[in-house]
Amino acid sequence: MRLVVARCTVDYEGRLQAHLPEAVRLIMVKADGCVAIHADGGAYKPLNWMNAPNRLITDDPRSWRVTNSKGEELRITIHEVISDTTHEMGVDPGLRKDGVEAHLQELLAANPDTLGEGMVLVRREYPTDIGPVDLLCRDPEGRAVAVEVKRRGEIDGVEQLTRYLERLDRDGTLRPVRGVFAAQQIKPQARVLAESRGIRCVVVDYDELRGITSDELKLF
Amino acid sequence: MKFRCERDVLLEALGAAGRAVAGRGGTLPVLSGLRIEAEADHLQVTGSDLDLTIRSQVAVTVGEPGATVLPGRLAQEIVRSLSPGAIEVSVDSNEATISSGRSEFALRTMAVEEYPHLTEPSGDQVHVPAEQLAAGLRQVVMAASSDDSRPILTGVLLTAHDEGLRLVATDSYRLAVRDIPGATVLGEGQKVLIPSRALGELLRVLGGADDVAVRLGQRDVTFEIDPSEGLAVEMTTRLIEGEFPNYRQLIPSEYPNRLTVAREELLEATRRVKLMAREAAPIRLSQSEGGLELKAVTQDVGEAREVIDAEYTGEELTVAFNPEYLIQGAEAAEGERISLETVDSLKPAVIRSLDGPEFLYLLMPVRVS
Repeated sequence: MRLVVARCTVDYEGRLQAHLPEAVRLIMVKADGCVAIHADGGAYKPLNWMNAPNRLITDDPRSWRVTNSKGEELRITIHEVISDTTHEMGVDPGLRKDGVEAHLQELLAANPDTLGEGMVLVRREYPTDIGPVDLLCRDPEGRAVAVEVKRRGEIDGVEQLTRYLERLDRDGTLRPVRGVFAAQQIKPQARVLAESRGIRCVVVDYDELRGITSDELKLF
Repeated sequence: MKFRCERDVLLEALGAAGRAVAGRGGTLPVLSGLRIEAEADHLQVTGSDLDLTIRSQVAVTVGEPGATVLPGRLAQEIVRSLSPGAIEVSVDSNEATISSGRSEFALRTMAVEEYPHLTEPSGDQVHVPAEQLAAGLRQVVMAASSDDSRPILTGVLLTAHDEGLRLVATDSYRLAVRDIPGATVLGEGQKVLIPSRALGELLRVLGGADDVAVRLGQRDVTFEIDPSEGLAVEMTTRLIEGEFPNYRQLIPSEYPNRLTVAREELLEATRRVKLMAREAAPIRLSQSEGGLELKAVTQDVGEAREVIDAEYTGEELTVAFNPEYLIQGAEAAEGERISLETVDSLKPAVIRSLDGPEFLYLLMPVRVS
């Protein structure tokens, strides 16, 4: 990531014409080629930008040109460079919108009995050739059980588990693999679809699994 | 499809089945509709959100048998708006015509073939006196939770008990238990968890029925009310899976403190004092040999206090409750006099009717400084 704080003017030509008059701005040049010009405000949105793939020409350090195949062009005229730094940021682990789902998986792995009496964990993130299934367990009879964990159980989750089951069933050491769809809440339609495919639905209490207790007096 | 009937007959049938119709149909838009089917001498109306299905059946004059799906809410609004008297409904391709007197509505129908195939009732039919079941449900359904994050508590537990039926519901702040002696719906050791929403709807339709037939399937339960005349209703609900909390361990065999009081007097005083229990403030019950003092204080608003006659044995004790839960427990206990048994200010108290042992209401106190 290259970060340049500079006094600059910016001109864009493409779907429309836009001009940013001379001012101090942050120019971000990302590793994938994206170029974005930010003001000191306005949350995440740049004043102007050019997505990758594009071509950045900085032969003349006072006049940058960014072009793309659609014929769009971003011209950055640099009047004064205040700061110019480059940082190696490594591989991005991706966005985790909330930690509840991952934590639920962790808690269920630690308490597989919640998913059914006598259930034993084989491993978390059990690999299949289309991605890992959240949990692979064995029931008291030793049969393989694939578990998909969701915060909100919707039809998409059932479809996802169905795909995993289909892949896992090809493994002779696991076949036949049963499915368990575990979520804090399961939509009626998702439940109908799951049950029509022989997938058992389990509603789990996140707070109870976490052992959270409030100051309120409760019977349970 | 074509049929004729009285407006009120059709409205009643649409209204009963309409209680189960999903708001916007969710992922199945057709579920926002009511499936109506005319055959022989009757009309069957079905509404469902896939968890709860209600079928109502009324006698009509069928001109031409057939089935269609009408937009649920709109169809009810149209029929309700018509003047009392005969209504004729005819369906042609994808349009239904509802006419009465000089009014006529043409209504787009929904595709009947898209309406899901709903499971038929299964299991043996067991008959229960409707009045007895309704009385029991009224006493427990209100104690069930409405918080979907703990689905097990949104149900009412039905369990076989002493050659009868036991109904149990809790939202974890209070628990209501009602025994119905002689109602042998379940076999020995059998128990099922029924969504309280479905039982609330059942209470609405039990009305003046004499008898309700119960069919218990593997995953659902069906209640059938089929009076000799008028609206017949069949309600099927999915059972809730999971283990109901072990409530028996929470009921102590004896309590050191026991207050007995006139039920109506307690209810009236609590309702008055509750006016000053705002912003979730509790109501404090100070129990002594002199009687019972009820007090509610809300910071920056004021306070209320009332003393009522009561018999009390035990140590002087002040215990605070959520006033609404206290009122609902006292209302459900029935009879002229009720007892309130307590251990201390932090352990669950029990409300019972002095009329009989069939009902018990366990109520968790509120912690106060």
